[in-house]
Amino acid sequence: MNRRNFMKSGLAGVGGLLLVTSRPKETKATQQKIISRTLGNTGMRVPIVSMGMVSVGNQGLVRAALDAGIVYIDTAHTYHRGQSEELVGEVVKGRSRESYVVSTKVGFGRAAASMITGLYTAEATEEAFLKNVDVSLKRLGMDYVDILYHHNPWRRESALYEPALKAMEKVKKSGKARFLGVSYHRNEVEVTQAAIDSKLYDVIMIPCNFKQKNYVEVRQAIAKAANAGLGIVAMKVMGGIPAQDPLKPFNASAALKWVLQDSNVHTSVPGFGTFEEMKIDLAVMEDITLTDSEKDYLKTASITPGLYCQGCGQCVKQCIAQLPIPDLMRAFMYTYGYQRPAMAKELVVSLGLPSRLCEDCGTCPVKCSIGFDVPRKIQDVARLRDVPAEFIV
Amino acid sequence: MAMGIIVFLWSPGTEAKDFAFPEIAGWKKSGDAQTFIPKTLYEYINGAADLYLMYDFEELKVMEYENQKKAQLTVDVYRHKTPLHAFGIYSQERLPKTNFLDIGIQCYYEEEFLNFLTGPYYVKISATNTRPEDREALITFAKKIAESLGPKGSIPSLISVFPTEGKEKYSEKFIAKNFLGYAFLQSAFTADYQIQNRKFKLFIIEGKDKNACRDMIEKYLQTIKSPRKDMAEGRLTLSDPHHGDLDLQWQGRYLWGILNLNEVSLRLKYLKLFEDRLTKK
Repeated sequence: MNRRNFMKSGLAGVGGLLLVTSRPKETKATQQKIISRTLGNTGMRVPIVSMGMVSVGNQGLVRAALDAGIVYIDTAHTYHRGQSEELVGEVVKGRSRESYVVSTKVGFGRAAASMITGLYTAEATEEAFLKNVDVSLKRLGMDYVDILYHHNPWRRESALYEPALKAMEKVKKSGKARFLGVSYHRNEVEVTQAAIDSKLYDVIMIPCNFKQKNYVEVRQAIAKAANAGLGIVAMKVMGGIPAQDPLKPFNASAALKWVLQDSNVHTSVPGFGTFEEMKIDLAVMEDITLTDSEKDYLKTASITPGLYCQGCGQCVKQCIAQLPIPDLMRAFMYTYGYQRPAMAKELVVSLGLPSRLCEDCGTCPVKCSIGFDVPRKIQDVARLRDVPAEFIV
Repeated sequence: MAMGIIVFLWSPGTEAKDFAFPEIAGWKKSGDAQTFIPKTLYEYINGAADLYLMYDFEELKVMEYENQKKAQLTVDVYRHKTPLHAFGIYSQERLPKTNFLDIGIQCYYEEEFLNFLTGPYYVKISATNTRPEDREALITFAKKIAESLGPKGSIPSLISVFPTEGKEKYSEKFIAKNFLGYAFLQSAFTADYQIQNRKFKLFIIEGKDKNACRDMIEKYLQTIKSPRKDMAEGRLTLSDPHHGDLDLQWQGRYLWGILNLNEVSLRLKYLKLFEDRLTKK
């Protein structure tokens, strides 16, 4: 089943494939309606919404999140060069250690892995890893973390790299971490299998969002890991920094609910940076039912990802005529994705384009980073300039 | 006219400069430069990419070098949309107590890394397996790269209005968005202070104009459920449920204030110091 069909069937009557998976072992506290799930064989129960710290720079937000019912906070050795761990440590001071769950992510340092192959070099030693763990604990002001993640090994060989596994075993034995995990941003299927095979990792932190091109495979990998008893933490649940689209503002609630429909996902770590965003995520923590408008949003999103220009701007530098390609791609999406040709025409006209488009270059030098056939789309959407407004609905 | 519109729409904040990684005697490039764009930055720096994207990251070029003794250097050249955004991400990661050098706008280093800021570029050089005699290479590389990246520019001018008394050196930061966790406050400059064991933070927000500042204050007051209309310039004390009591002063397109300081006389003193320095700016 391809992505689009999966999305369509998954959303038919809201759920389809997504909702036929086993329901989560979830409970709702009577006073607060927070939905919690058990993080695999760790036995830890955590609310389905946790807090990712990568873009958080103020204590007030973390404090407010904990006060509002969030239990699990995830940071990393490298975030803000360690200041994120210090911030978490400051906020939890004075709180009972049992009242919150903290994880951090540690690796060997960037230079210890090849950026091309993802394999570790000789510099990735057990000692280096252990040293980084101690630095992290010191910054956090804690004797132990609840989960220590091996940070971003994106190859099977790296996830199973012996010095890392040995170091992590030592960390657990010494009581510096209650549980061990692995987090990764790509190659999800391969690394998930490695995590299962390792018999060491208790938890995986894995990207999961409705924009993922390979989310069918990712969902299957998640199910396999959950069945093997691993705790599943979903990250990148919004699919990166949402693109600014005036016609379709990003719907964070729908995106997060979509992830949590899967009972195999035990918790998620959205990176909210404002109190407003936190409020949206907290509401999801109590109710993951998709509203009609959220279903509509996801349905549209399932149609448009192939039309969605990421706005990276690389094409503008490549284009000989310096055309405003991202705007033209947006107009194309308005036309074919949102069925709003009038809006598309308005945009195209406002760009003041030259009369001849993509006709004089011969070979187009533009190499779109997500594979759009740029000249074809430009020529297609530019025709709107010549269509009288009264013919456009 | 038509071309004028196109040029206007597509003038980047700062022109991308053609950049070539330098050749340094005794060091060999390990391969071709790698390039990462906003969509792929995660592949290189994992989740930390989110923070860079908040600071309008545009492109990263990476080169690895090796010498005969197998020491390795990795050079990361991050280009952001504007020098201000480059300063912002640099300031987020800067270590306040370390060794500073006169390279680019600002540069600091430790045994195994060196970071500096120049124009819209944030450059990070990290060393692996180096010996003491290789360490000088970090500085040699930094100087060469800084030269090739064009005019270095300067620290954002608003930094200079922070009162100097009690200010912790190298603590100034630029927060690109969501200051204090409120989207309506947008961006701000902050600096840390310490006076006789009292630690506090000063901040300044530069609005587009006077009305933008009024709008921010009104939204702030609504958020903390203390709405007021017809706000006039001047001083205001807010009781924020998340950040405690804080003083705000509004003048024209500037809003400045103090966080985490209970002593009223000291708060007033710093608000005034800020005002004096802003007037002289």
